[in-house]
Amino acid sequence: MTATAQTPVRTLRRARRRWVPPYLFLLPAGVLFIAFFAIPIVYAIYLSFRGLKVTGGGPFGVRQEVWVGFENYIKTFAEPEFLAGFGRLAIYGAFAVPLTLGLALLFALLLDLPRIRASRFSRTAIFIPYAVPGVIASLLWGFLYLPSTSPLNWILDKIGLPDVVMLSGGALYPAIANVAIWGGVGFNMIIIYTSLRGIPAEIYEAARIDGASEWTIAWRIKIPLVGPALVLTGLFSLIGTLQVYGEPTTLRPMTTEISQTWVPLMKIYRDAFARDDLSLAAASSVVLAIGTLVVSVILLRATQRKSFGGGE
Amino acid sequence: MQRSRMAIGIVGVALSGVVLTGCSSAPSLDEPSTTSGGPITLEYWAWNESQEQIVTAWNEAHPDIQVKHSDVGGGGDTSAKLVTSTRAGNAPDVALVEYNTLPAMIVAGVAADITEYTDGLSEEFAPGVWSQTTFDGATYGVPQDTGPQALNYNKARFDELGIDVPTTWEEFAEAAEKIHGADPNAYITTFAPAEFGGFAAFAQQAGAEWWTVDGDTWTVDIDGEESVAVAEYWQDLIDRDLVLAEPLLTPEWNASLNAGDILSWPAGIWAAGVLYGVGEQMEGDWALAPLPQWSAGDTAAAFQGGSGAIVTTSSKHPKEAAEFAAFMASAEVGQIQIDTGGYPASLAGQELTLESDPPALMANQGDYWKVAAEIASNTIPDLSWGPNVNVASSAFEDAMASAITNGTPLADALATTEEVVVDDMQSAGFEVEAD
Repeated sequence: MTATAQTPVRTLRRARRRWVPPYLFLLPAGVLFIAFFAIPIVYAIYLSFRGLKVTGGGPFGVRQEVWVGFENYIKTFAEPEFLAGFGRLAIYGAFAVPLTLGLALLFALLLDLPRIRASRFSRTAIFIPYAVPGVIASLLWGFLYLPSTSPLNWILDKIGLPDVVMLSGGALYPAIANVAIWGGVGFNMIIIYTSLRGIPAEIYEAARIDGASEWTIAWRIKIPLVGPALVLTGLFSLIGTLQVYGEPTTLRPMTTEISQTWVPLMKIYRDAFARDDLSLAAASSVVLAIGTLVVSVILLRATQRKSFGGGE
Repeated sequence: MQRSRMAIGIVGVALSGVVLTGCSSAPSLDEPSTTSGGPITLEYWAWNESQEQIVTAWNEAHPDIQVKHSDVGGGGDTSAKLVTSTRAGNAPDVALVEYNTLPAMIVAGVAADITEYTDGLSEEFAPGVWSQTTFDGATYGVPQDTGPQALNYNKARFDELGIDVPTTWEEFAEAAEKIHGADPNAYITTFAPAEFGGFAAFAQQAGAEWWTVDGDTWTVDIDGEESVAVAEYWQDLIDRDLVLAEPLLTPEWNASLNAGDILSWPAGIWAAGVLYGVGEQMEGDWALAPLPQWSAGDTAAAFQGGSGAIVTTSSKHPKEAAEFAAFMASAEVGQIQIDTGGYPASLAGQELTLESDPPALMANQGDYWKVAAEIASNTIPDLSWGPNVNVASSAFEDAMASAITNGTPLADALATTEEVVVDDMQSAGFEVEAD
């Protein structure tokens, strides 16, 4: 009698025991995700439909938050500066993305050559800039770029050649991209290198027996096989480009050529904190986020078939 | 991007640590008590070198009203943070705000009307200074320091090159020519596109009124005749390569300054402290003179910078907060400011300066404080700033920078700025006219 009474309770308990742990494990991540990701996003979307209007009247009437519908979105698209920011981003990206990926791939392939020397040291040396915080890297490069503090110009001066101006004119984009490339190559190289180490050695052996040179191996075997890693790093670099903020912001006080709205994120910051227009900033952020998502999906779709062999 | 993702990851880990330790530790019991009877604590945001000492002096004299000071960044940063924290309902009780952003703080609902607590305080200040914190008959703050615009110049280099101190802008241009002629690396000064406050003061000296209010209607006139004339004056000097057109206080600029290649800075009289901060080795080389005038014999100059203490609308103790703000009018605060390189706003403080030593950068100028007092007494009173100076300043900065980069007229940049300012005021719902 006691046994029959206990069984359902025990199974229920056991069932609950099995049911609870996964959620318990999910809880910390879930709470953090909701608190620091989901709620802010929802709040930003809500804010993007609000605006500050003078109520009460008078020359010093206090502004209050009211519902403004799509006004902020219309403003976002109507402002030439926001769109011009994407134009500047494109030029910046044209330098930063291919060079970061190209150099990362090159270094990874070089480090993966057989009988390479000082590989561990070189790997660390290439990776170290990534550990330097972006703002510090920008300041560091800023000092190197400015004519009076630049060692290059010091040398040029000594041998009687004219100064090189880095933070204005045509050199501005490469100068800013260089900061990001310097910091980003190491990280991307590690991803590609790790992927290279995962390729089974038998493939290389077979290739060598067939008489392939190291160059052919790299071109015909290694690069195609690290395709997924390249897509991943490409995606990172592309999103990173859309989110450029730290480097130009840090370099801005040093030159007149970087405006407060130089790239979209800088304009969003200015609207929110210099102009006290959080709602417009929220709307522009939503547009930027959706844009980033769309571009990422397109990139993944376009490269998926090639890299992951899908659809064959 | 990878960086920021990683940062988020790290923050996440750190936060989960906080959450976990939060669970295991007992709730803390030593929360500051704010119930009636016990001492109250006021939060105070302010950025300059005098603040620690001012707060210490206050706390020693007022055991029941303790002030906790935080430095959350300069004038621009502080006002940005005040707006956000007011929206969140947790702004500090008292904060330092620059005069030109005070109207923006009022319309953003940050600054509280403290007229009822500041009865009779106006007599402690010159009328022009007091008017910086009073609008439409309501007082929103107590002036703390002021920055009458003056000519801060490198006397050692002026003497070396045989240049007389210019008293008019015409003489200033002639001096610019002489200096650059005598030493091709040397420039009389820098025209910095980000110096909204500096340019506004030049224009005000020339007679411009950027914002005026009549009844409920604002009039904005940033590209008026006088302002355009000022822009054209500087344009000419830039075009003739007689002044540098670049940002101030960059490593580049500091190097030129210390090399003796930048010979003056027309700016608020707080400039001595700023310059000393980046060029200690020039101690004693510099001196202060009245700002050059548009017509000989005039003496007017405008304020560049300066700030007052406001009580926020979030404060739960407005009376006590206003009491602390009013402390800024005391001679005690004046003395602390003089000792730390500021120029007090109160009459009591300004009197004290006459017995003080000049700031280190200008240590050899025996009559420094006399000159300063004279400049301060000639400051144009009653200037009105608009409710969106923050917008104007950021628009000005970009428009000027792009004019300098692209070689377009500076006067066009003023027109652009005005357009942005008027648009912004209209979209916020103010009644506004462009002049």
